[in-house]
Amino acid sequence: MNRKILNIVVNGESHQVLIEPHWTLLQVLRNEIGMMGTKENCLEAECGVCTVLLDGKAINSCILLAAQVEGCSVTTIEGIGDPEHLHPLQEAFIECGAVQCGYCIPGMILTAKSFLDENPGCRPSRDEIREAIAGTLCRCTGYRKIIDAVATAADRIALSGAKQ
Amino acid sequence: MSAHTHRVAGHRLPRRDGVGKVTGKHVYAADFKLPGMLYGRVLRSTRAHALIKKIDTSRAAAMAGVRGIITSADIPQIRYGTAVRDTTVFATDRALFTGHAIAAVAATSLEIAERALAAIEVEYEDLPPLFDPEEALKSDIRIHPDWETYKALPIISRNRNIAGQARIRVGDAEAAFAKAHKVYEHRFSTALQHPGYTEPRVATADWDANGIVTVWCNTQLPFDTQTTLAEILDLPAARVRVTVPGIGGGFGGKLRIGVEHFAALLARKTARPVKVMSTSEEELTAALPRQASIVLLKTAVDKEGHLLARSGRIIVDCGAYAGSGPGTAAIALQVMAGPYKTGALAFESIAVYTNKVHSGSFRAPAGPMANFAMECQIDMIAKDLGLDPLEMRLRNVVKEGDPGPSGEIHRSVSIEECLRKAADAIGWHDRNPEPGRGKGIACSWWMTTGGSSGVYVKINPDGSATLVSGAVEIGTGAITGAAQVLAEELSLDLTDINVTGVDTQAAPFDFGAQGSRTTFSVGNACLAAASELRRQMFELAAKQLEAPIEDMKLQDKHVVAGNKSISIAELARISRLAGGGLIAHGTAISPAPAYDPTRVQNHPLPVWNTPSYHAHAVDLSVDQATGKVTINRYVVAQDVGYAINPTYIEGQIEGGVAQGIGQALSEEIVYQDGCVMNANLTDYKMPTAMDVPEIESIIVECRSAAGPYGAKGVGEPPCIEPPAAIGNAIAAATGCWPNSLPMTAEKIAAAMQVQHS
Repeated sequence: MNRKILNIVVNGESHQVLIEPHWTLLQVLRNEIGMMGTKENCLEAECGVCTVLLDGKAINSCILLAAQVEGCSVTTIEGIGDPEHLHPLQEAFIECGAVQCGYCIPGMILTAKSFLDENPGCRPSRDEIREAIAGTLCRCTGYRKIIDAVATAADRIALSGAKQ
Repeated sequence: MSAHTHRVAGHRLPRRDGVGKVTGKHVYAADFKLPGMLYGRVLRSTRAHALIKKIDTSRAAAMAGVRGIITSADIPQIRYGTAVRDTTVFATDRALFTGHAIAAVAATSLEIAERALAAIEVEYEDLPPLFDPEEALKSDIRIHPDWETYKALPIISRNRNIAGQARIRVGDAEAAFAKAHKVYEHRFSTALQHPGYTEPRVATADWDANGIVTVWCNTQLPFDTQTTLAEILDLPAARVRVTVPGIGGGFGGKLRIGVEHFAALLARKTARPVKVMSTSEEELTAALPRQASIVLLKTAVDKEGHLLARSGRIIVDCGAYAGSGPGTAAIALQVMAGPYKTGALAFESIAVYTNKVHSGSFRAPAGPMANFAMECQIDMIAKDLGLDPLEMRLRNVVKEGDPGPSGEIHRSVSIEECLRKAADAIGWHDRNPEPGRGKGIACSWWMTTGGSSGVYVKINPDGSATLVSGAVEIGTGAITGAAQVLAEELSLDLTDINVTGVDTQAAPFDFGAQGSRTTFSVGNACLAAASELRRQMFELAAKQLEAPIEDMKLQDKHVVAGNKSISIAELARISRLAGGGLIAHGTAISPAPAYDPTRVQNHPLPVWNTPSYHAHAVDLSVDQATGKVTINRYVVAQDVGYAINPTYIEGQIEGGVAQGIGQALSEEIVYQDGCVMNANLTDYKMPTAMDVPEIESIIVECRSAAGPYGAKGVGEPPCIEPPAAIGNAIAAATGCWPNSLPMTAEKIAAAMQVQHS
C-alpha cells in the first residue's frame, strides 16, 4: 500500500497517522484517531452528520481527502466540551429539547459553532440560523428546537462576550 | 396520586441520554467495532425480474483480503416474514427487484469488499416485470409462483399477487348510496417514502465459543430481530443475542431485519466478527420504505353534509415481498373511517406484490395515505355543498360513547376540541387572506398499539434505581418518559433512574419501539414494578420501624410511617445483606377492547387500542406561476391523554409534521422501468431547515383509562394529517386539488394551468 504520513492536530492534540491516499478525513477521524462523535451516513456531503471544524470552519469530512489536511487543525464534537464542561451550544441543545435520536447533533452543533464564530457577538435571527444549519438533515425534530437552541446559545455567548 | 401534584411526571425534564448525545460519547450501532472485524457488503440485483442462471464467485473469492462469500446456496433455505413467510435472505432462483440481495462478501476492508462485489459474475435471464400494482392484480405473471406453499398468519387472505386482503363492513352501504342526496367518487395516489433516519441500518455480528451469536445493531425490535435471526440461522432463539448500543432514528424503517442476517451469516462463514452497514444507495433502493398506494373512495351525504355511507378500496404496493403490507393496508380501513360517525361503511384493502423494493412500516403505516384521501374528499364535498369544511367535520365527528368502525366504543373523545383549537389558532375565520394564499384543516384518529412490556427495576445501595427494559430508546424520549413515571412512583428524581442498554439475553421481553406504545406500555410496566418495590420496601421497613404497613408511604426517597422514616438507600443496603436486594419485575399488557367481529374480515389489527384524536391546520401560499408552496404557519392540536414530558411530545409533533410535509410536497422514491432514479439524498428530497415552518403544538389532555396517568400514544399521529391538511390548503389557495403525493410544484402548476385554460 501507498501509505504516507499525515500530520494533523485534532482537538488540540498532534497526531501522526499513516494514511492511504484515498482515505477521507472522516475515515481518519473515526478509524485511526477514534473520534467516534463524528458520524457517518451518506458519504456524499448531502446529510451533514460528518461535519467537523477545519481550522475553525465547518466542512463535510466525508468527502475531504485526509491528505489535503496536512498540518491543519481539526475540531470534533469531543473537542468543544465534555460532560463536566459543556459548551454553551451543547448545554442549550439539551435544555431546549433539541436532541432526539442525536445522530445529526454533533454535526449540527459544529455547524452552528462555525456560524456563530464567523459572526462574533451577533444575535442571529431565526431565519439566519435556519439558513446556516440547512446543510445538515435532521429527521427527528422538525428543526424548531434546534433553532431555539442555537438562538439561546448565541444569546449567552454574546452576553458573556459583552461582559468580558 | 392526582396528576397535578406530580413532581417528576408531567414536567419538562431533560432526557437521560442528552449529555452523551451532545458530547459525542453516546455510542451508536454504527460506531461499534471489534478487534479483527471484517467488513461485509451485499451484491444486489441489477434486474427487476429475472431468473438467476449462474453466480460465479470464483474470481472474487481469490482476491487478497476476501475472507468469505455467501449466496443462497450457502445458507439454510428459510422463508420468513411477519404476515406472510415469503422472504428469503438472498434471491433464490430469481431476482424479484432491482436491489434484491444476490450475494454477500466479507473482507478485511470495505474497499476490498466493494471490489470483490464487482468481480462476482451473475448471469440473468429477464422475466416480464410487473411495476404497476393495478396491473399486478389482473396480470397472469406471478411474482411468487409458489405463493400457495408459503406459510402465513391464518387471518391473512391471499390470492396470486395479492399478499393480503381485508374488509370492514358496517350497515348497508349500497342502500345508503341509493337514497343519498349526493354521491362523490375520487381517486388518490401516494408515493414510496423513505423513513429517512440519519444512521443507516448497521449490524456487527460475532459468534462465541458456545455457539452463541451476538449482534450489535440498530433495530427497533430486538426481540423480533432475535426470533427472525434464529429462524434464518436455524438456531434456538437463546443462541441469538441481540443488543442495541444506540440507534440513530428508526421511524418504523428499522422494525424488521435489515442487515443483521448478512452480518451473522458472514461471521459464521468466516469465524470472524463482521460489520455490515447499508450505503445511501441501498437505503433508497433496498430498505423498508412507506408503501405507495392508490385509494378509491366513494361517499354519500345528505343535504346537510352528514356522512351516510363510505365505500372504498386501498391498494397498497408491497413490492417484492409482503413485509408489513397486508397489515398496513388493513389499518387504512380504520383510518378511512376516520373519527366520524358514518351510517354505513364498505372498505376493502389489498396488498399487492410488484417488482419493486419491499416495503415496511414507516411511522403510522397507512395513516397519511388513507387520511389524505379521506380528508381531502371531505373538503371536496364541503365545497360542493357550500359548507365550511370545519363545520362539515364538526357535524360528523364522533362523540363520547359512539361506536367505532369495528363496533368498539369511542372513549375519552376529544376530536371536537382538537378541531376547534387548531382552527382558532390558524385564524380559520379568514381562510383566504389574499390571492394565492389558503388555509386547510384535517383530522384523524390513531391507535396506541398494544403488545406486552416487562421491566426489571433494581434499587441500588445509594437509593437510586436501575431500569432494565427491552425497549429501545429510538430518540423519541420514550424511555425518559417511562423513567419519569418510575421516579414519580418511587419518590425519586429523574436523575436517580439509570437506564441500561437493551440486550435480549438480559432484559425482559418488550414488544418494541413501535406503534406509539413505548412510553405508554413501558410506563405501565414501571407502575407495576414500582408497586411491587413499594411492597418489598414496606415489608422491610415494617420490621425496621416497627410500624404497620398500612401507615406507610414513600416520600422524598424515604419510607415514612407517621413520625418514623427510613431511607430507600438504607432499605436497599439492608436487603442486600438479608434478602438478595430489592428488585421487581413489572409487566404490562393492554387488552384489545371489545368489538364486533362480524364487521371485520381478515384484518390483523381488527380493533384499535386507546385511540388518540388530533387535528392539523395550515396556512400556506402558492406561487401562481411556479406552483411552489410556502408554508406560512402550521398548527397541531393533539390529544396525548396526559403529557408525561411536554418538551418531547412537542418534539414528536414537530418532527412528525416535518416528515409529513416531506411526504406532502417533495419526497418520492422515483422508479422508472424498475430502477430507482434518485438513490441519493440530493435527489431524494427530505425537508431541510429551510423547508419546515415553526410548527405550533397545542397539547390536549383527555385522559385515557389505560395509559400511565391517562397517557395515550403520541409518536405516530403527527405525520398522518400533513398531506391532507396541506392538500386542502393548496385547494383553498388555488381552487384545485392535487390528488397525488407528493404535491410537487410541477403538479400544482399543471393543475392550475388546466383550471385556467
